[in-house]
Amino acid sequence: MLRKLLLMLVMLALVSAFVVRGQDEPQYAGLDMDLSGITIRMANIGGGQYEVMYDAIAVFEEATGATVEIVALLDGFAIDQKLKVDFATGAADYDVAWDHTSFVAQYTPFLLPLQDYFSEDELAPFSPAILDAATIGGNLYLIPRHADISPIHYRKDLYEDEAIAAAYMDATGEALTVPTDLEQIDRQARFFVENGHSSLGYTLAGKEEALTGRFYEMHFASGGSLFDENYQPSFNDDIGVAVAELLAGWYADGIIPSDTTSLLWDGVAQYFCNNDVAIKLEWYGWYAYFQDADSCAVAGNFGLARGFTGLSVGGDAVRPSGWAGAHAFSVPATAPNPQAGVQLIKFLSSERVAYEEALLGFLPTRGDVWDRIITDAADAENPLDRERLELARIQVGEDFKTPPLIAEWIPFSNIFYPHLQAIILGDVGAQEGLDAAAEETREMMADAGYY
Amino acid sequence: MITRSVGPNRRRNDMIWNMIAWVVLIMLALPAFWIIITAFRPNIEINTFPPVWIPRRLTLEAYANMFGLNPDVQQRVAVEAYLRNSLLASGISTIIAVSLGTLAGYAFARFRFRFHTTLFLGIMLSRAVPGVALSLPLFLLFNRVGLTNNVLGLALVYVAVNIPFTAWLMDGFFRQIPTELTESAYIDGCGHWSAFWRIELPLSLPGLATAAIFAFLAAWNEFQIVSVLARNNAAKTFPPGLFAFTEQFTVDWRGMAAMSVIMMVPAVIFVILVQRNLVSGLTFGAVKG
Amino acid sequence: MAADSNSPLGQGAATRPVEVSRIEAGFFPYSLILPAAILILLVVGFPLLYSLYVSFTPYELLKPNSLNFTTARALRNYQKLLNDDIFWRSLLNTIVFLAVTVNVSYVISMALSQLLSRVTVGQSVLRTLLMVPMMFAPILVGMQFRWFFNANVGLVNNFLISVGLIQEQGQIAWLVDVPLGMITIIIASIWMNIPVMTIILLAGTLSLPTETFEAAEVDGASGWQKFRFITFPLLAPFSYIALTIMSLDIARAFDIVRIMTDGGPARRTEMLWTYITRLAIEDTKFGLGSAMSWITVFLSVLFTLYFFRQLVKARIVR
Repeated sequence: MLRKLLLMLVMLALVSAFVVRGQDEPQYAGLDMDLSGITIRMANIGGGQYEVMYDAIAVFEEATGATVEIVALLDGFAIDQKLKVDFATGAADYDVAWDHTSFVAQYTPFLLPLQDYFSEDELAPFSPAILDAATIGGNLYLIPRHADISPIHYRKDLYEDEAIAAAYMDATGEALTVPTDLEQIDRQARFFVENGHSSLGYTLAGKEEALTGRFYEMHFASGGSLFDENYQPSFNDDIGVAVAELLAGWYADGIIPSDTTSLLWDGVAQYFCNNDVAIKLEWYGWYAYFQDADSCAVAGNFGLARGFTGLSVGGDAVRPSGWAGAHAFSVPATAPNPQAGVQLIKFLSSERVAYEEALLGFLPTRGDVWDRIITDAADAENPLDRERLELARIQVGEDFKTPPLIAEWIPFSNIFYPHLQAIILGDVGAQEGLDAAAEETREMMADAGYY
Repeated sequence: MITRSVGPNRRRNDMIWNMIAWVVLIMLALPAFWIIITAFRPNIEINTFPPVWIPRRLTLEAYANMFGLNPDVQQRVAVEAYLRNSLLASGISTIIAVSLGTLAGYAFARFRFRFHTTLFLGIMLSRAVPGVALSLPLFLLFNRVGLTNNVLGLALVYVAVNIPFTAWLMDGFFRQIPTELTESAYIDGCGHWSAFWRIELPLSLPGLATAAIFAFLAAWNEFQIVSVLARNNAAKTFPPGLFAFTEQFTVDWRGMAAMSVIMMVPAVIFVILVQRNLVSGLTFGAVKG
Repeated sequence: MAADSNSPLGQGAATRPVEVSRIEAGFFPYSLILPAAILILLVVGFPLLYSLYVSFTPYELLKPNSLNFTTARALRNYQKLLNDDIFWRSLLNTIVFLAVTVNVSYVISMALSQLLSRVTVGQSVLRTLLMVPMMFAPILVGMQFRWFFNANVGLVNNFLISVGLIQEQGQIAWLVDVPLGMITIIIASIWMNIPVMTIILLAGTLSLPTETFEAAEVDGASGWQKFRFITFPLLAPFSYIALTIMSLDIARAFDIVRIMTDGGPARRTEMLWTYITRLAIEDTKFGLGSAMSWITVFLSVLFTLYFFRQLVKARIVR
């Protein structure tokens, strides 16, 4: 009798859990384990925007009895430095580490493979493209939190002005529409600048990994690949030369700013914010800043479109641009409490926490969260708010492409970008410069034991 | 005879020299004024075109943002941590470096011994080692003994880096004190130590202050070594903190100016305090040496 | 005695014997120097030796096993550097940077010190103004000049527009173009070097005996002649003190370069210091970075030693 009653109760509990889920409340996860007395140590990214996560951690501590200790709170590049050093010196005595799809390849010998800790159901909501990017040698090394990718940003006034459209038709014989490929961008950007409609045609970050990444993006969008299957550099092919020449031409003709090679992300964004740039790729993350009329002249005057396809030199292999990355969590191989660390990751990447973070403007990596925020934005005051999310979902789902998954990505970038800068500035020809970069890269890769 | 007759000419020349000097030096100091003004201007006046040369309004916004008093702005900077670490590393290292450097400087100024030149040169040349070159092995070695990312480890490095210059300055100051004083102290029965403590050290106090402030500022401003040894806010001082800030917000010129002003405070005090002593300390070896 | 007259800061016995009456005190002076020497050996000497060892290994931070010495590979890092165009380019840039900075700073400081020595109105205010650049940490100097020379919102371009020399923002990319990039960095470091140098030279000028000048005036010497044949030679010891101090501190210019251009764009302003940082810290190649560090140590020490020797010579001659 008693047994039956118990069974009834369990059934009831299960059903009610099902009903609650059905009531459309985003759910936490990872709270189903008693972790009393365990201290979970975490090396994490800092900054004001991450406060939601810290509020959520309190919920986790309450529910599981664990204590979460934050051992480091740094910005992305600083934490990358810390992880490298700690891994190298065997000092990674924490259970959860911040990670990033662009960085993960260099840490893999020091990380715990996670596939055995997560069920298929638990992984199902995450974007397959991102999980793919985090799977190296058959092992899953990270669980993504939120992602970023770049759509085309364009100035609406330039595309809605009939006089400009007519002049463009006269000049080129084609209609002025929001561009979908890089050659269109080239024609339009030049047209806008030459006829004084915009002081700049395009902008891009001009140094460090930011420049390498943008080149990589234009290159693969044109059908190219930085390395071939044997890890031999292949960026000095016809496609690479065409892309480099495009950039050099833009610099020589004042389509991009004269201080391009000094610019990083916020310098580039500043130009667009000032309404000085006709068209460009820019991360979704800048949206709130651009829409703030107090700080940006471009507020209300820009539209978004899917990334461009590349140069026609790539033939059929062209594809939409979509250099992307995702912030994520990993567990160091030396973690004292790996299972507890996994529980915390399950919780922090759960639908509920991911949704709360998405409300701040981050692009989610879970399908269920996408559904929610797009529904939420249905009656937003600005229709672009919703368009942006729908577009972002397509890009993150279909166009997401990480840098080559080699540990040498940053060393490669440090070799590559000065050569590309030299090409842009006109110090060397495109072929010559890329060949020199390829030569140095080959040497570096040989030293690293690739061939 | 002839010199008399050029009197009026000379006066006119003097006036011209004075004017040139004033113009040149005001131009030299102008950047500092610009930084200070910028720290207190509204952001919109800084990034606009055409430029606004004369501020229309002054504000403490930049500081409110920095110290987290402005709820709308999230780019809070860990000024308190940097301040604490900077003060600790610079303070501790100054005390030790000045003590050890003074002793060494005294030895070089006052005594005759074998390897005088070799030792002096050796100590001075240790100062010529670029911070970048020193930071790599220090990082590896400190890692083994747990001194990386540690304010005390940083202070230890600054002691070693500051000893040479302190020794040089103090050598100059001690030599300004006539040897006869020391010798008469010996005749009165003082030992080497008590002669040093009772007679020479008190006489060299102004020099000591100069050396201390120099050492303090060198540590306060040091960037290359701390940027390798300090990995987070537990040990980061102002220079790497400021560097991280400008790397993150590359176009926030006002924030940069505001932080610069905070960082300059000790240096301003220094300039006011030691103007006079500085000159005699630096040049004594040449004047009377 | 022989050691004494060679002491860099000690005046040769030939001119003023009174001053060199240093005291004989057995072991006592060594005990004064010992703590300082031990500390320096521990924190500078030993690490440098260790880095010499590392420079003979292929050590990379992320590959702990690579820190092992094999005779076959010992010189590999140095060979690599000798065959590395970027290394030579950064060495050349560093030498150009040092040569121009040191010489121009010296000339400007000399001129300023002569100017200041004639000032009759507001001496003390002017001296405070002179010391203003000393209030800036090198890293601040770098930031400030990076901003002033910013192509788009910088003070310099804005000023040139205001006076009508250029038409639009961004017209002169100071930190990018050749040779403007090097020039802006050099301007920044000269600005930083002027105060200390000028102060020393000014102190020297004010200490010169006035009789000599009066005599020269009677002989009808021009202002330039007086400077060339009296002031300048008599200032030699002061000049070398100033140059020595500068050579001790010159590596601080790294902070300026790091912030203003970080060796870029396209390695146009790459110097040894920025290249080491890139190799060792960013690419974690400590072996190669240490090899290059040793080359810079060697250069810096040589540079400083040279000025020290000149300093000694100048004093003895006088």
